[in-house]
Amino acid sequence: MIWPVAFAELRPIFDWLYDMVSSTGLPEPWLSVVIYTGLGAMMFGVLAVLALYLVWWERKISAHIQQRFGPMRHGWHGWYQTIMDAIKLLQKEHVDVATRDKFVFFWAPVMCFVAAFLAYVTIPFGEGLIVADLNIGVLYIMAVTTFTIISLLMAGWGSNNKYALLGGMRSAAQVVSYEVPMVASILVVVVFAGSLSMVDIVRAQDGMFYNWFIFRLPFGPIAFLTYIVAATAEANRTPFDIPEAEQELVAGFNIEYSGMKFAMFFLAEFVNMFTVSAIAVTLFLGGWNGVFLPSWFWFLLKTFAVVLLLMLFRWTYPRLRVDQLMEFAWKFLVPLTFANLILGAWMKYAGWYW
Amino acid sequence: MPDLRTEEFVVNMGPHHPSTHGVCRLILTMDGEKVLKIVPVVGYLHRSLEKICENRTYPQCIPILDRFEYVTAMSCNYVFSLAAERLAEIEVPERAEYLRVIMLELNRIASHLIFYGVTAMDIGALTPFLYGLREREMIMDLFEMTCGQRLTFNYIRIGGVAKDIPAEFIPYCRKTVSVIREKLNDYEGLLNENPIWLVRNKNIGVLPPDVGIAYGVSGPSLRASGVDYDLRRDDPYSIYDRFDWKVATRSNGDCYDRYLVRLDEIKQSVRIIEQALDGLPEGPVKAKVSPNFKPPEGETYARVENSRGELGVYIQSDGTKKPYRVKTRGGSFNQLQVLPVIGTGGLIADLVAIFASLDIILPEVDR
Amino acid sequence: MVEAADTGVVFWLLAAAVLISGFLVVSLKNIFHCAIFLVICLTAVAGIFLLLDAEFLAAAQVLIYVGAVSILMIFAIMLTSRLAAHNVIQTNRHAIIAFFISMVFGLGAIALIAGTHIWRLAIETLPADNIATIGKLLMTEFMLPFEVVSVLLLAAMIGAIVLARKEGS
Repeated sequence: MIWPVAFAELRPIFDWLYDMVSSTGLPEPWLSVVIYTGLGAMMFGVLAVLALYLVWWERKISAHIQQRFGPMRHGWHGWYQTIMDAIKLLQKEHVDVATRDKFVFFWAPVMCFVAAFLAYVTIPFGEGLIVADLNIGVLYIMAVTTFTIISLLMAGWGSNNKYALLGGMRSAAQVVSYEVPMVASILVVVVFAGSLSMVDIVRAQDGMFYNWFIFRLPFGPIAFLTYIVAATAEANRTPFDIPEAEQELVAGFNIEYSGMKFAMFFLAEFVNMFTVSAIAVTLFLGGWNGVFLPSWFWFLLKTFAVVLLLMLFRWTYPRLRVDQLMEFAWKFLVPLTFANLILGAWMKYAGWYW
Repeated sequence: MPDLRTEEFVVNMGPHHPSTHGVCRLILTMDGEKVLKIVPVVGYLHRSLEKICENRTYPQCIPILDRFEYVTAMSCNYVFSLAAERLAEIEVPERAEYLRVIMLELNRIASHLIFYGVTAMDIGALTPFLYGLREREMIMDLFEMTCGQRLTFNYIRIGGVAKDIPAEFIPYCRKTVSVIREKLNDYEGLLNENPIWLVRNKNIGVLPPDVGIAYGVSGPSLRASGVDYDLRRDDPYSIYDRFDWKVATRSNGDCYDRYLVRLDEIKQSVRIIEQALDGLPEGPVKAKVSPNFKPPEGETYARVENSRGELGVYIQSDGTKKPYRVKTRGGSFNQLQVLPVIGTGGLIADLVAIFASLDIILPEVDR
Repeated sequence: MVEAADTGVVFWLLAAAVLISGFLVVSLKNIFHCAIFLVICLTAVAGIFLLLDAEFLAAAQVLIYVGAVSILMIFAIMLTSRLAAHNVIQTNRHAIIAFFISMVFGLGAIALIAGTHIWRLAIETLPADNIATIGKLLMTEFMLPFEVVSVLLLAAMIGAIVLARKEGS
């Protein structure tokens, strides 16, 4: 039984789980399977609750921006409102269109949900709080997020609805386009850290805050801003929420979904938002680095700050048109990020950095 | 190169589509995202108001016509009263005229605030909607304290207004007006210079002035194209000539200018309301009109400048207490008519922006 | 990573996934379903790469084959609505002959592989940071093929733009 070294702070839980399962006398390969499944379920539970709270948070923030109260009835400032909503959605009837493609229609939300959670394998929540420190960390995240695109395409096609089809195709085109500037701005950081591993990248930013990649002039801030823009598009949020443009496509790819299937798309969106924020923190804002407080606290604090930024975008900006969105990606962001990457690589080569 | 043919497909936008402001159905022929052909299908909200009016006495027609253009029901009240007064040559008391102007302008502001919110929402900004409705709420409070209603007022009657305003109306109205004037800065700050707002609206759906006139477009949508035409000034009714205000015009005729013109109009309406509050005389608010109101035989057409263009009522009287024929004209109908002209060839997202910027509401189209 | 005992189970699971989904890709009636199973097949292959400690290859497999190639295929299917109709026959009348020919080739390949005894097995362990090694090799030893592939992709991209460009614009 091999324990991932980096997962140190959860070791007691792991030991407890190991003792409990091994006392049943299970043979070895299945022991690992059970334990890893249990750990996965724990992670899943934590993230699902996190997503629910992000929904609540978004509702409160939007409400306060719009001079409303938002949910107020369930608990202090409605803190368990979204949990009640989730329970309600679980009980709801699944309304399926008769002309849907049964297989694709059913698996699309599952795939979307799973893809959203896959990225958390390599996100360092704190010093030693990482599931697996893959040496391809960043690349891995880029790879698994592509499953989200496929799930959107599946949802769009499986619903057998023109709006859903348009929404799915728009979102695929958008996410594919914005992946290019996103990767290019991430690569600047990778070039400087000299590694794709998330832990190594955070370690490269050790020390005071001026060691963070965002403060490495001049390429750092540019890379951060382009990353945030691309990440907003990647998470399908305003001003880049074309896939679900309510006013043009009614609701986009998820128009025919109801009940828990819809909730899965909805929660996956929030998990994705948290993912892109966590990546931003890891790559640009020093990850878990901070003083006095525990590392996971710093990580969550910074991540929630970036999430707040994304939420402010959403509630203050109008939406771009689909062709303007593409133009912005290909004619502005891509050249800018590549120029920035070349600049960064050259500075690294010349040694003009700290 | 081989001739690459792509398939066009037909999409029904509506009748229950969130950005058609009611139950409008647009049959769109699309090539991908590009709109090749637009066919508006109207009539989903037809309530045959004109026919109903033929079976009602004149005072009873007013609450029916409230439903004609319910976003600015005051104008509907007023235009019918104006037509009836012209038929019967009724002199309206001074105080009533002032109150009417205040109510009409308040309602115009309320309507433009809805436009502001809904347009922003159609472009994807959700917050302005709530901001717009917040200030509209104060106006609704004013209406509620005056006539007990918030949407369909039945307040402006033949010969005056239904009843006098309560004592707290004037201070609250002054407060409302100053709040709106102040909050307009917020509105403009949120959207006017916003780069996304600019690329979504500038040079989108340009309505040339001659096309606008040819299709009978009127009101702010036409003034945004540079046609300096406002019935309040050019076909004066009520007491608008006593106030110091300007007709708001812009020159480009795109969605952005249509948006700006309406914000400008809010400012002008605020000015009018403030002057009217200052000059509000004492006196009766309603001329003596018999409940059995019978205008002499004849016909008349009254028109007012509504927030959506020319709002007109034609009444043919046969001397009985019921109108022989009532014909209404709303600005939205002509603006829906011009939508295929300026919306074709753009993207579907532009179509939504154009639809919003023309400020079409469907009850006025279908009646 | 995982121990040898685990690798066995996982390998067989992945291999089964590759074979079953690969078979479904060529046998299913609905072409969209075929594309979905192609995605699963390619992902399972990436899993096998991962078992072999070739993490970079696995990520590249997912990124390129799932993230780009499959999505392109699905896009093409979605854009041509007739292709996805249920009544389109996915095979032609040579199916049976083709089956036997490919059986011959398949069995031949299996026999050939089974008869091979001289495997070029590298005993040495992988360098700890094999991404850096791959990067260095791509920029030195395999510079020419790398650049040729880049030029090929560029040519394909320009070709696509030329095809998609509307006349006169």
